[in-house]
Amino acid sequence: MPVEGLIRIDENRLEVPPTYKPGMRTNGIIFVDEELEKELEKESIEQVANVATLPGIVGSSLAMPDIHTGYGFAIGGVAAFDLKEGVISPGGVGYDINCGVRLLRSNLTKEEVLPKIKELVNTLYNEIPTGVGSKGKIKLDSSSEKELLKKGARWAVENGYGESEDLERIESGGCIEGADPSIISDKAYERGRAQQGTLGSGNHFLEVQYVDEIYDERAATELGLFKGQITVMIHTGSRGFGHQVCTDFLEIMERAARKYGIELPDKELACAPFNSPEAQDYLSAMRAAANYAWANRQCLMHWTKECFIKVFNISPKELGLTLIYDVAHNIAKIEEHVVNGKRLKLVVHRKGATRAFPPGHPELPEMYRKIGQPVIIPGDMGRYSYLLLGTNKAMQETFGSTCHGAGRLLSRHQAIKKAKGRSISREMEDRGIIVRSAGRETLAEEMSEAYKDVSNVVEVVHRAGISRKVARLHPIGVIKG
Amino acid sequence: MGFEIIDVSGDVGIRAEGNDLEEVFKNAARGLYSLITDIDKVRPLISRRIELKATEPDNLIVSFLNELIFIFDAYGFIGSRIDMESNLKDIFHPGQVKELWLKADIRGEDFDPVRHERRLLVKAATYHNLRFYKENDLWKVNIIFDI
Repeated sequence: MPVEGLIRIDENRLEVPPTYKPGMRTNGIIFVDEELEKELEKESIEQVANVATLPGIVGSSLAMPDIHTGYGFAIGGVAAFDLKEGVISPGGVGYDINCGVRLLRSNLTKEEVLPKIKELVNTLYNEIPTGVGSKGKIKLDSSSEKELLKKGARWAVENGYGESEDLERIESGGCIEGADPSIISDKAYERGRAQQGTLGSGNHFLEVQYVDEIYDERAATELGLFKGQITVMIHTGSRGFGHQVCTDFLEIMERAARKYGIELPDKELACAPFNSPEAQDYLSAMRAAANYAWANRQCLMHWTKECFIKVFNISPKELGLTLIYDVAHNIAKIEEHVVNGKRLKLVVHRKGATRAFPPGHPELPEMYRKIGQPVIIPGDMGRYSYLLLGTNKAMQETFGSTCHGAGRLLSRHQAIKKAKGRSISREMEDRGIIVRSAGRETLAEEMSEAYKDVSNVVEVVHRAGISRKVARLHPIGVIKG
Repeated sequence: MGFEIIDVSGDVGIRAEGNDLEEVFKNAARGLYSLITDIDKVRPLISRRIELKATEPDNLIVSFLNELIFIFDAYGFIGSRIDMESNLKDIFHPGQVKELWLKADIRGEDFDPVRHERRLLVKAATYHNLRFYKENDLWKVNIIFDI
């Protein structure tokens, strides 16, 4: 059944017209086909409309096909604001600042890894701090934490976690300039001190996979991918540090919104004019959290490499475990975009959305200039994930953005109920996937049936042309929090 | 119990109740802790004090719960018993209270992943659909957490 009040533009897009809700300054566009439209939550549509009421929004309030209800902004939301008239909102980034994904390739094949997959998963589980109450192996003192916040993944490399070649294969080089450690609250420092180099919990994971389908041979070759090859995907963010930055600034921004006379349809949409001190402080703190997350994924990659070397008893060169790319999917960035023929500097919020820059974009490293930016889309732990590439159409239609994952179908509670009396880990093993998790109920909450099929989401962005499919990755080993 | 878990699509919420708002706050805290672990296994060995002020109950409860999340996440302290002094009993008589305050003593211990069950990693308490209301003479609040 079509959702009332929305207009279908074409096979892949729905419009939320500016008349949908009073106060909308522009329309909303939700990238969903008729199938995914059936799963649209009313509240998430409302959130797309709410974002369209914020001052200085440029273009449409956008949502990707993995849209679901978030806090303030919908998850899957993309919104760009003018730097003079517009705002910045922590709700447009989310609590887990720079939650993101990185994908590693290897020289190993599925056949070589399968006989030792249990040992590999156990080793990864033992070496990588995971789950509620786990502590990291890295102890930061106050000055090293500040340095990390300024340098991001570069800090990790300088401290022996990975290679300098990794950095150019990370969005923004693994470090956004302009992070100001003096803005950060004592609480955020405290929370961040013991959590660097930890995976976390919830939907975060580390997965051993193999390439099971290639859609674009030429691009796959450029990326060093072949069928049957082992890859590793790491999904985590800025941990307690980022959560505290968001919590701190929601309070500050709520007061700021009142001070600057911005009417908020929802407290979680708290925001401030881009040029206000409150907004600039948030931007600096958010950048510090983004850098924390890039350092985190860099450290986790380093330990992953050590685990492979130990289990397979091979040299780093033989293993060839190198970074393909690392993307942020909860972030706000200042970028140049062409809107109605004019080149503008905008602050682009991506909350549960991934940057998808096209071939030739100056922000891309030399090796990806020809093919476009790698985009990593994690699916659920039982099915598959995707590697896509950014396109010109994304630049024209979505401020260079695309989807970020599968999106939940069942609530945690529903999933636990559905899994009652079942052993999810046994079921996964029967399907050829070895899973270890710290939390008792994590596996039930995170089982495949709790998520939408990520391929439905990917098909929409591929058909809409805002990114294109390169490869599909199938899990064989997963660790979770 | 004084609280129950409520179902929301991506995350998880609790509904806490009490004869007055102070009791609601205490039950909300226990509800939060029970998302993280089984609070029956948490011994009241050490005590932490929290003092907060706010102008609205929404802000006070979000700050209070976020403070508990902070203390857990930064120091590994998990609570199970909550004592509180506050002016929360008076607040639904408009004009009587200009500023809300609470002083809470949380008793608990250091989280030990071997002894304490690991449930959810709670990132933050949110304002999303946050609502205080009265039903059958009981005060209630619905609060959703980011997981």
